Amino acid sequence: MAFKEIELNMGPQHPSTHGVLRLKLAVDNEVVLRVEPVVGYLHRGIEKLCEHHTYFQITPYTDRLDYFAATQNNLAYLLAVEKLAGIEVPKRGQYIRVILAELQRLASHLAWIGFNANDIGAMSVLLYGFAEREGILEIFEEYIGARLTIHSLRIGGVPHDLDAKIISMILAALDSIPARLKDIEMLLSDNRIWKHRTQGVGVIPADEALALGLTGPALRAAGVRWDIRKNIPYSSYEDFDFDVPLGTNSDVYDRYLVRLEEIRQSVRIIRQAIAKLPGGESRATVPKILKIPAGEVFHSIEAPKGELGFYIQANGSEKPERVKIKVPSFINLQSLERMCRGYLIADVVAILGSLDIVLGEIDK
Amino acid sequence: MSSTLLYEFIIPLLKVAVVAIYPMLMVIVMIWLERRVVAWIQSRIGPNRVGFQGVLQPFADAIKLFFKENIMQCGADRFIFNVAPVIVLWSALLAFTFVPLGGTMQIGTYNLNFWVAESPVGLLLILGISAISVFGIIFGGWASNSKYPLLGGLRSVVQILSYEIPTGLAVLSVVFFSESMNMIDIVKKQQEMGVWFAFILPVSLIIFWISAVAETNRCPFDLPEGESELVAGFHTEYSGLKFGYFFMAEYAHMVLLSSVVVVLFFGGWLPPFPNVRFLSFLHKVPGFIWYFVKIMFFLYFYIWIRGTFPRYRFDELIKLAWKWLVPLSLLNVMLIALIKVL
Amino acid sequence: MVAKFLKKILLIDLLIGLWVTLKYTFKPKVTFQYPERAKPTRRRFRGILRLYRNEQGQPLCIACKMCQRACPENCFDIEGAKDADNKMRPTRFNWILERCTFCGLCVEACPTGAIRFSHEFRLSTLDRRNLSFAMDQMYYDFDLQEHLQGELVNP
Repeated sequence: MAFKEIELNMGPQHPSTHGVLRLKLAVDNEVVLRVEPVVGYLHRGIEKLCEHHTYFQITPYTDRLDYFAATQNNLAYLLAVEKLAGIEVPKRGQYIRVILAELQRLASHLAWIGFNANDIGAMSVLLYGFAEREGILEIFEEYIGARLTIHSLRIGGVPHDLDAKIISMILAALDSIPARLKDIEMLLSDNRIWKHRTQGVGVIPADEALALGLTGPALRAAGVRWDIRKNIPYSSYEDFDFDVPLGTNSDVYDRYLVRLEEIRQSVRIIRQAIAKLPGGESRATVPKILKIPAGEVFHSIEAPKGELGFYIQANGSEKPERVKIKVPSFINLQSLERMCRGYLIADVVAILGSLDIVLGEIDK
Repeated sequence: MSSTLLYEFIIPLLKVAVVAIYPMLMVIVMIWLERRVVAWIQSRIGPNRVGFQGVLQPFADAIKLFFKENIMQCGADRFIFNVAPVIVLWSALLAFTFVPLGGTMQIGTYNLNFWVAESPVGLLLILGISAISVFGIIFGGWASNSKYPLLGGLRSVVQILSYEIPTGLAVLSVVFFSESMNMIDIVKKQQEMGVWFAFILPVSLIIFWISAVAETNRCPFDLPEGESELVAGFHTEYSGLKFGYFFMAEYAHMVLLSSVVVVLFFGGWLPPFPNVRFLSFLHKVPGFIWYFVKIMFFLYFYIWIRGTFPRYRFDELIKLAWKWLVPLSLLNVMLIALIKVL
Repeated sequence: MVAKFLKKILLIDLLIGLWVTLKYTFKPKVTFQYPERAKPTRRRFRGILRLYRNEQGQPLCIACKMCQRACPENCFDIEGAKDADNKMRPTRFNWILERCTFCGLCVEACPTGAIRFSHEFRLSTLDRRNLSFAMDQMYYDFDLQEHLQGELVNP
């Protein structure tokens, strides 16, 4: 049976590839046979820039990797540097870091729900997600002065302490989230059109997911219980009580449910952290000029998109020898082909959305 | 001026002019309404700067489209490329000749009918003429000489043709009750029965409404012109005023199908409960006002649906038509026929 | 079972979705009508960098060049000399807005609090040369809008 293969190009300019991603699809009449992602349209040379800047100066650059959850990138980098330099962050600083990082996870997941629903057609959910995100961005504006690329953590802790006004803003934002999530769920979770579009689409079995290096909510939707916050805790995550949501069918619908549940668990973590906030300093004393003796370290955290890791090689001066960033979206993009094989073109958009990639991360 | 000249020449000419302009006016209203209502659903305000509360926004859009570059594909078939938008718009406007916009009004000694033409098979003619728009879509998709419009055009055609069947069957059930395909007689029958057909035939109404949304390529059935998927479907390669034509044609079709729903199921120009003497003061309001109010509700309903639901994937769409709507409407017709016989 | 079947036939899930969007149609809207009404900026808002003076009108900057060393983007070009009162003062303080990423490392490095973020965020201009600031253009009482957009208002 001969079939004719068409090559379709979802070009760098497309309303649904989240950023400038080029996908070369080979389709047979509607069914996707091969997907080849072409990346590099947003390359800014961050790793090379890191070799010529001091450890303090690199922190603002890491904001720009996953710009939806800037604090998480800061956290990954700073934990690696502190491990290498042997700096101990005080307990209060660690708790505040957890609060800020989890707030960013909320912001990232809310933006994700909006974009994914918009790709599949429900355009109002985008605006609802962003209206909720606005509350969180206001908190960051009050705390540190910026909303997106915030540079909100420093080596040794956090720049400012949390005062009563910021804590009340955080609690107000957390209080308004359950109602909004309920609205989004009423619009989407039981909706037959949503279920038709997302159930059974983009299935990847757990062993293949592990073999391809998939991490983050997509891996947990496949049923694999791997969350670095639980398995290899960092920055006092072991003090908090939260669940890790798992999926069963590893399709787009399960990834959506996993992320919704992660939002709820993040709210839980933040409430616990605020309630149990210890006293003390929020930042350790770090010399103004930080020279780290020769050595290397790799440290990874559970970013909203997956496992984000920094490999830093120091050579005794105040600038690192080499910084290599292991980004989750780049590795997750590998599994796009496996997930898309055999589905229709319309599904590629849904699957790509469910992987939750950010081109800033992929291209660095 | 002799009365024959007035009554048999000038007034029909005026009526034709009104019927040609009326859908275009509704298009202008629809463009504004769509952007405002979708914005309200999304917790924002929508365009409110051009003119009072943004009512001049459609004109601003039209002027912008007018000034855009007229791009012609290098391998495109020029004549068919240019004729496609005209066919789509023209078929919608032509079908309006058989749609009654109101009842009969007494002006002096003359009975002014609010419709241009009356035909014993008016309903059939409306459905037939509006189906000519399929040609425009397939011409647009083919003549663009490009992959995306071709795929989009083919899908659009299959969608429209598949949903014609439930439309026809739902309409058939109404015809059982009214015993005539004349649009005027259908309304008169609803007046006679004292109740709108929507309350007697709810299943037909739902089937017809779902098919109407699918026929006009609106969300949730708008994958052929899916914004996030095939860029823009069959009208990808059209720019400037030709794209404006397709845009206007979509709204004109929406107005046409809303009119058909209103006439068939909601009493046309009749007030609610037309025979109840207690509410006879409602008859003082002229028929075309009632018609207009009902149309606005259905147009709002179109926009409301667009802002709420995700998009159906194409195979799900066709499955919905053939596996659910066609058997359901056949069953419906048989039941109605049975009820009518007994 | 019967309930599930009825839910499917009566399109309950679709009606619930329509109800949600209907609710939102009548809720207050969250957008601002800019520029008539702008969102108030918060206390630590990172607007453009400005140099500040003390209560006597003396500039706070002592030309220690800590900000120049801290900046990742080489935005600063500073030179200082001792003035008549034997205090270090800057003789040249050039700053390039084009390169600034608003990271705040210079503000944290400054020992006297001379350079700080202001609340000005309307920073657009038609000429790129307006994005480089000399020392007298860096103070907080400099008319920034005139400098950036002057040719638009008075051509």
